[in-house]
Amino acid sequence: MTKPAPRLAVEGLRHLYAERAVIEDLTFTLGAGQAIALVGPNGSGKTTVLRCIVGSAEPAAGKILLDGLPIDERAEVVRRDVAALLDDLDFFPDLTAAEHLDLMARAHGNPEPEDLVDTLLDDVGLLAAADQLPGSLSSGQRRRLALATALVRPRKLLVLDEPEARLDTAGVAWLSERLQEEKAAGTSVLFASHDPELVEAVADESVELTPLP
Amino acid sequence: MTSEGPVVFDPADFGAIPAAKELRRWMRKVRRGKADRTFWQQFEDIYLVIFALVMVGATGGNVILHLNEKSAACTSASCSWLLDTVPWILMPLLTSWMLRVLLSVGPVSASRATGFWLLATPVDRAALLRPTYRLVIGVAAVVGALAALIGFALFGAAWSLVGEAALLTIVLLTCTACATVWAQQSASRSRWALRIADGLLLAATVPAVVLATRPEANTQNTTAFVGVAYIGPYDSTQFSPPFVTTYGFRLLVIGLVALLVCGVLVVVTAQTLDKLSRQSVVAGGELLAGMAGAAITMDVGLLADVVSGRHWRQVGRLHSRRGRSSHVQAIMHREFLRILRWPRRLIVGFGLLVVPYAVAGTGYDVLVPLAAAFAGFIATRPLMDGLRSVSRSTGLVRALGMDLRDLRVAMSLVPALFVILWTALALPALGDAATAFAVGAGILTGVIRQASAKPPSYAGPLVASPMGAIPPGLFSQPIRGFDLLLLCLVPVLLSWSPTWRLVIPGFVLALMFAIKPRQPA
Repeated sequence: MTKPAPRLAVEGLRHLYAERAVIEDLTFTLGAGQAIALVGPNGSGKTTVLRCIVGSAEPAAGKILLDGLPIDERAEVVRRDVAALLDDLDFFPDLTAAEHLDLMARAHGNPEPEDLVDTLLDDVGLLAAADQLPGSLSSGQRRRLALATALVRPRKLLVLDEPEARLDTAGVAWLSERLQEEKAAGTSVLFASHDPELVEAVADESVELTPLP
Repeated sequence: MTSEGPVVFDPADFGAIPAAKELRRWMRKVRRGKADRTFWQQFEDIYLVIFALVMVGATGGNVILHLNEKSAACTSASCSWLLDTVPWILMPLLTSWMLRVLLSVGPVSASRATGFWLLATPVDRAALLRPTYRLVIGVAAVVGALAALIGFALFGAAWSLVGEAALLTIVLLTCTACATVWAQQSASRSRWALRIADGLLLAATVPAVVLATRPEANTQNTTAFVGVAYIGPYDSTQFSPPFVTTYGFRLLVIGLVALLVCGVLVVVTAQTLDKLSRQSVVAGGELLAGMAGAAITMDVGLLADVVSGRHWRQVGRLHSRRGRSSHVQAIMHREFLRILRWPRRLIVGFGLLVVPYAVAGTGYDVLVPLAAAFAGFIATRPLMDGLRSVSRSTGLVRALGMDLRDLRVAMSLVPALFVILWTALALPALGDAATAFAVGAGILTGVIRQASAKPPSYAGPLVASPMGAIPPGLFSQPIRGFDLLLLCLVPVLLSWSPTWRLVIPGFVLALMFAIKPRQPA
């Protein structure tokens, strides 16, 4: 009997910024229903690793495999299965919070997402702000909306960059619980974090990155 | 830090509140002290831009002189009638536009720093804001002079009439600027001013429609139009511009009286500047800063983003409307709802249909497709905000889970239907279906190309220029979109056969949807 391929495999990843290596020979695997936390100080390359995984950055060397196949953001399977929250998410300025989630869910094939949208808005504490346009939301509310955007769609791999950022204590507690539910549902979770308590509560394994000289 | 204990606040330590003039003098002195470049060093960097502006100004002036000469040679009743009608379109249009533009930036504005540091002090606010106020009045006057100069000279008015028109337009727009300063002082006044702007816009369409539907339309001699040079074989003996002799003196007196009234109004309004709220002046300053940033990158789309972004921030809250269906259909349905969300854009868009008819009414038939294409472009571009958002955000494309090419198709379909409808309604003015197809294809491919423009990236290779390092392609930004529009119009402008009018725009259209766009950075 052969061992099933991990959902995500990163092998010998190397990334350069202006000829300088910021990631060198990074290797790890992530199975279904598992969570890995990328930890390390600012500038250690956590976001860069996540960007390489979602296809926003091109690695200089190494392999990134999703279900045994090289990851390519152009492939439909990747767009369908990888939900990500990085710092590059923007919003349509003329759609309300509820309309954003409604559109995202429908774009991923859910023809009746009303209940899901309401539940998620309630979960992230935005039910009262459901009719607000993104420009009138606070930075914390925008962050919550971005988080809900990643959770309103189907996913096998959830990639989050500092999901606890700009959340209050209750928000971080909810996030911790939610990520554990994601794991229980079989979703693989890869996240970068500066919050030791969140890492402790959610991650099965931590990958420590250090700034390269 | 001293070891003498905490500093105790004592009002006696403070002298009289400084005058705004003293404060400005002190800031100027500090800034000069920190300057690391002389005036001539800065001039060396921008001399090419100044030189280019002088050249463009001189060429533009020559073109206007030439066109004035040619148009003045037109003796037909049509030309005379046209010149009589122009003020009734131009004046309400200019006033409406001026009201809207000035109210969107304040009109009196201040930077965030000035708002935070200076306007919060007891220093005389009116005096602090007076330089900006003078600038607003100056800009209004210059715009008035230029608009009248171009508007009247192009249609062959005598230079004395152009001068009188310029004087009256300067007065009109300066008074409009004063009115906007007064309106800025309260939200309800601003709302009323905007309603008046809408009313004036509607008023401008009435003479335009009359011009467009005039029975004598298309009856006068028209000649080939190549580029911007109009060459018309008109008889100059019968032409007598209206007003110039009969009403000239009276107009001059009226103009001088209006100028006097305007001067008084400017002075009186200046006394009310202290009634402006800090929030209202800083909001305009932030908008101007955003627009300046967009202008530096020569990104027309970004300029529009800044304005529409501000609009939606001011709206703040809307009744959420659930979508329909899923996948691509859901995106199309959302685009439809989005377009209905700002109905003024649709009204203005359809209102612009008057342009091809009005141009056809003037008899310059060769200009109709070009005018229709540009009017259609202006009408359709605001409907492309959805595509604009996804083209600028990798995160949004990723969240929607679709390929950018599929998204481009999905988000262009509803605006494409608008273009088809708009072009069909303009068909009687355009003349034939092949020309209408070329115009429609030009509008659609042009707006898609402009809406999906990526912001210029300073992270990649840069090119040395007198203005410092700039990304390659920066100077092509302003013409992005208009290039495809003109390409589709080539067979029309060069009077090629209807087959070419279908083939070339059809090819451009097919290419536009076949090519995979570059992912936003």
